[in-house]
Amino acid sequence: MVQLITRPRAVAVAERGPDQAAAPPPLPARLPPWVVVPSGMVIGGVAAFLRLWQLNVLGFNSDEAVYAGQAAAIAGDPALKGIFPVFRAHPLLYQFVTAVLFRGGSRDLVARLLAVAFGLATVYLVYRLGSLLYGQAVGLLAAALLAVCPYHVVVTRQALLDGALTFFATLTVLLLAKFATTGFPPWLWAAGAGFGLTFLAKETGLVFAPATYAFLALVPSIRVRFRDVAGWAVCAALVIAPFPLSLLLGGGSRTAKGFLVWQLFRAPNHDWSFYLTQVSQALGPLLLVAALLALVASVGAWSWRETLLACWAAVPVLFFQVWPVKGFQYLLPVAVVVVVLAAKLVVGAWPRHRLRLPAAARGLAIVALVAGLGLASWGRVSSAGSTSFLAGSGGVPGGREAGRWLQASTPPGSRLLTIGPSMANILAFYGHRRGYGLSVSPNPLHRNPAYQPVNNPDLLIRSGEVQYLVWDSFTAARTPYFTERLLRYVRRYHGQVVHTETVPVRRDGAPTAQPIIVVYQVRP
Amino acid sequence: MRTGALRAVLALVAAGLLTTAAGSPAAAATPGPPAPRTPIRHLVMLMQENHSFDNYFGTYPGADGLPAGVCMPVRPDKPERGCVKPHHLGDRPLRDHSHDYKTALRQLDGGKMDGFVRALNVRRQDGTVAMGYYDRGDLPFHWAVADQYVLFDRFFSSSLRGGDANHTFWVAGRPELGNGPTIFDRLQQRGISWKFYIAGHDPQLNIRTPPGERDAHWGRVLDDVPILKLARFADDRRLASHIVDLGEYYKDLQEGTLPAVSFMVDYGASEHPPGDLVLGQRLVRSLVNGLMASSAWKDSAFLYSYDDWGGWYDHVRPPKVDADGYGFRVPALLVSPYARRGHVDHTQLDQTAGIRFVEENWGLAPVGGRDAAARTFTAAFDFSSPPRGPSLLFENLGGTGGATLRRPASGLLYGFYGAAFGVAALVLAAAFAASRRQARLGGRPDHGGAG
Repeated sequence: MVQLITRPRAVAVAERGPDQAAAPPPLPARLPPWVVVPSGMVIGGVAAFLRLWQLNVLGFNSDEAVYAGQAAAIAGDPALKGIFPVFRAHPLLYQFVTAVLFRGGSRDLVARLLAVAFGLATVYLVYRLGSLLYGQAVGLLAAALLAVCPYHVVVTRQALLDGALTFFATLTVLLLAKFATTGFPPWLWAAGAGFGLTFLAKETGLVFAPATYAFLALVPSIRVRFRDVAGWAVCAALVIAPFPLSLLLGGGSRTAKGFLVWQLFRAPNHDWSFYLTQVSQALGPLLLVAALLALVASVGAWSWRETLLACWAAVPVLFFQVWPVKGFQYLLPVAVVVVVLAAKLVVGAWPRHRLRLPAAARGLAIVALVAGLGLASWGRVSSAGSTSFLAGSGGVPGGREAGRWLQASTPPGSRLLTIGPSMANILAFYGHRRGYGLSVSPNPLHRNPAYQPVNNPDLLIRSGEVQYLVWDSFTAARTPYFTERLLRYVRRYHGQVVHTETVPVRRDGAPTAQPIIVVYQVRP
Repeated sequence: MRTGALRAVLALVAAGLLTTAAGSPAAAATPGPPAPRTPIRHLVMLMQENHSFDNYFGTYPGADGLPAGVCMPVRPDKPERGCVKPHHLGDRPLRDHSHDYKTALRQLDGGKMDGFVRALNVRRQDGTVAMGYYDRGDLPFHWAVADQYVLFDRFFSSSLRGGDANHTFWVAGRPELGNGPTIFDRLQQRGISWKFYIAGHDPQLNIRTPPGERDAHWGRVLDDVPILKLARFADDRRLASHIVDLGEYYKDLQEGTLPAVSFMVDYGASEHPPGDLVLGQRLVRSLVNGLMASSAWKDSAFLYSYDDWGGWYDHVRPPKVDADGYGFRVPALLVSPYARRGHVDHTQLDQTAGIRFVEENWGLAPVGGRDAAARTFTAAFDFSSPPRGPSLLFENLGGTGGATLRRPASGLLYGFYGAAFGVAALVLAAAFAASRRQARLGGRPDHGGAG
């Protein structure tokens, strides 16, 4: 048979079976350049379009504001370095790169363009991964699926760590595949470095260490010597080292410990079905089903490739399902596995399996999948100004505008009290005004260590530490109790509305402006 | 009774005539309040209590503070008893040590300035405390104001006779009110807006308070707000309405109705030992930041000083200007968009400098002997430069928002994370190069991998 990928003879021999003669004719391992190059350009163009279209129409959400604020603090932005602490929960790789780009000014668009760059680079790596595992046709289709996958599109349009994490996790799995393919130890060491970068992008990248271990343990035919594992560990440690060292020398070790304790004892923020409902929908149910079918269909022809992909998906899914804190973007690296498997199913890349759709059906499936995902992505990127908000799913309407109003219309040094810390983060980035979240718990075990609790709001207002109270509809929808408390202070301290941000909505058929952020000036 | 009725009728007629006159075109043509001669349209003056200049700013760089090597004799007449050097007080608990006229004279010791410890000791108090001082760590807000605006290091209390006399000098330019005018009478006559803001103001506390209801607080209020001792400020509603609660200050700021001249006093946060310095600084911060956040900031000045030295050491002998003063130096600071930045002003001033400024700025006649001869603080302004924009001051006062962020050196982070990228790139490049070399050499047998 013609090998679908460039892979060793031993593997090929091992994978030949009695059904070989009955299998459909194999796909070519390599596609001609006149197919690959234009397809790649179209995929890249669509991927870029979906990630750049109206990229900055909404301002940062809270997480984006925090990471960009950290980057600004690293870059020494005079307005933000006193507001955002450098050390918070995560390692600083993404913030470090952003800080380099922020040397010319802390602009939200720059931070988001970096996220887009990571997203596009991941699409390319997926092409390489798919090509390496199952041939160029799968690589191209997998890249196309990721290019239009709403989950990946939405997350890599935001200045979040998860886009970078997914890029480095994909690089790591690609290097592991290289090692598995060639048995050449330097690829395993490079995978160690890739894992290190994954961790530096976000500490949850740690889950790919057990994923790597599981893969190597479950494929006994891959012989790994101790010194190869040691090489992996040394490379990983060398790359990870900046995180603990900078904490130690930069005075952030206490903060890091505080975050660890907080994360360990943090109450669940979503129920157990969060990923099932939110992420599967964002991934595209069809895509997910296709990936699962691919795994099922592989049962008869299971190879180390499926083991690698399964480990790369199952370990993070299990970990984050068990972990009480759930985030929309946490499972983004799994999307890479999903698109490769789905592409494999559609292309029919089984060396000795009868499951191969006819060419026309394959073409139809490809069009249906890509078009369906593309339309879903388009729906997400073209809808701005929504008044509902899920953390990690996009920007926050009005936050940037309210922040800029604060910067232009209130004296430097003015301080805000918001319902929760999220809006405080956004207003701090755009408004250069420090804010406090009323809902931040005084119990250190129940609050993000980066946030200061407001033990006595009356004192804060009476002593003139806070001049403005900010109500926002997004937080208000989540915490009616603290919203009412904030409004009580508004009434008690003669709050006067000095600014309102609205979004246009239709009510009873008529267009109307719905307030989403209201800034009150208070006095003792 | 009949005479009284006749007087009432006459008063009504007179009032009617006055009202008619006020409504006539001639009255409408009466010129309004005089325009200020400087860009300052709002002057706010706060009087805190009981600290000397050296006690608060004795170690402030660039100010005439504690002399090097100074050591105050325990007994000026017996040098062998030793001496007390200035020492940092920090959060040491204190009591309100003597600061009456006798104590002042003992500390002054005929101009030798060597009785500060002794004067307290003879009152059976710990005299060493007098040599204590505070620094930036204790007074972050006041020192930050000095850093950004103007600190006066030749600002003397008007009199050695203590807070009561100095409060009277503050509003009337003389030690006793008598029947003479106060600055408020002048302002009222010229139609210039004014208010006296009092923390926790009770309109019933004044000279008309029934004797049976006069307690210690009543005495203190009347000492700090001397015009409450004058019947006309209790009886005349037009005058009395200008004496209001401190809360109205924030309302006036918010509503854009801050008067041209404002006086203010507080009790709980006056910094009077053993009062909490943090509370006092929070008060001043709130007042100053409130002003900055208002529309009045652009043409305002906020002067705050202390009514007397509080028994603390100060090394500058007060000049003798008349029978009453000066007293020892007290801290005084000026905040204004026109104030020089980080300036230590050495102009010799006393507590009548405030009303002297009012008189000069609005063209009013002096109200007492001292203010007529007093200098004012115009040198602390720079009217040739455009006004400074507001920038709220938030030094760490132990509240929620004071914490300053610890920031690691950027170079450290750039170095570490740059090195991480470097290591990763090196390993990848090495793997790639080795792989290419391996391929050129004919490939390496694979270990297989069918699972």
